[in-house]
Amino acid sequence: MIRRLLNVLAPAAALAAALFIMQAPADSQAPAGKATFDPTAPAGTDRADAAKAKAKGKGKAKGGPAGPIPKTAKGLTDFSGIWNGGGPVGDIKQGMPAGEELPLLPEAKALMASRQSKDDPEANCLPTGVPRIAPYPWRIVQTDTHIFFLFEGNIHSYRQIFIDGRPFPPDRDIDPTWYGYSIGKIEGNVLTVETKGYNDKFWFDFMGTPHTEKMTTVERYTRTDYGNMTVETTITDPGAYSKPFTVKFAATLRPGEELMEYICQENQQDAAHLQGKAGL
Amino acid sequence: MKGKLAVAALAVALMVPLVPVFAHHSFAAEYDANKPVTLKGKVTKVEWTNPHARFYVDVADPTGKVTNWNLELASPNVLKRAGWQRDSIKEGDVVTVEGSAAKDGAKMANARAVTLADGKRVFAGSSGGDGK
Repeated sequence: MIRRLLNVLAPAAALAAALFIMQAPADSQAPAGKATFDPTAPAGTDRADAAKAKAKGKGKAKGGPAGPIPKTAKGLTDFSGIWNGGGPVGDIKQGMPAGEELPLLPEAKALMASRQSKDDPEANCLPTGVPRIAPYPWRIVQTDTHIFFLFEGNIHSYRQIFIDGRPFPPDRDIDPTWYGYSIGKIEGNVLTVETKGYNDKFWFDFMGTPHTEKMTTVERYTRTDYGNMTVETTITDPGAYSKPFTVKFAATLRPGEELMEYICQENQQDAAHLQGKAGL
Repeated sequence: MKGKLAVAALAVALMVPLVPVFAHHSFAAEYDANKPVTLKGKVTKVEWTNPHARFYVDVADPTGKVTNWNLELASPNVLKRAGWQRDSIKEGDVVTVEGSAAKDGAKMANARAVTLADGKRVFAGSSGGDGK
């Protein structure tokens, strides 16, 4: 009887483990009534989690496996691997220092307040844009000239970063797109990615946090050891924010995992049933 | 007996935090954590599809009127990584489903826990969370 129950429970235990690996505990910004678990908290850890863990004397929040940082044949830090987390899912503010507010301009604030959950591009199977991350694994593929982020989920797409030393093309040649035009460089254990040419269609999170086509980003991916990477994104958007601001999230490596197919448009029934204002 | 209790306690411990996280949309915008439903009936269809696996259950009310409910799970990838298979439940299975009903009144729910007629629990994970 016990063995049978254990057989039944094994997958549940695996899922529980997966949930805890992939999902930081609810942080201090979880809304009232959701204190036990925040389903929309970002995968990985964030500043608030880390601060909370530290405050509780727990040290570093749970992350990926330890070990030396891999290098390419040319001696550069190798960011390749399958990762989870590294950006906002539910609320981008979770990546900001506690107490800091988004420097939204009045028009952007009004736009955000008017947004409805049913219109969230991600709920409608459109890309996350930057820096939003879907709660699914993604893989970094690194060559000498390009880095690709291959996203399993929502959507089954990719992001392209040029690391061949090229400059940005003239602005008029960059059409606004979901992931923009990205140029990166690797120095030490940091991959710095500058991006411009974003469209204004994607949201930063479930909250509907907005931006405009004037947005540029600088992302710093720091591989801190074998299994952990921090992602700091500085967002500059004079169309929506009064000053640049930076969000920080953690990504964890999932060695041994592989991407699986995820075609969101296949059977999307949710958007038509989403009710009310954008939010968690 | 002590062993059984321990296993039961483990089950409870596992189920409580198994409030799911793998959605491409806000859970609270679609489902009402304050509208828990328990549905029992025969599975009429299983869709092993993205962005959510779904299954449909014919549920009879006390008067005998049958309604087909559309029940949402996590994505197949999430379920698969947790050890479940596309045939973990099949058409014709009689199941009991605990979940949260759609806010808009549609005969839809997020399936938090699914129990087969023999008591075996399957798909202990769904696409949203209700904190309960």
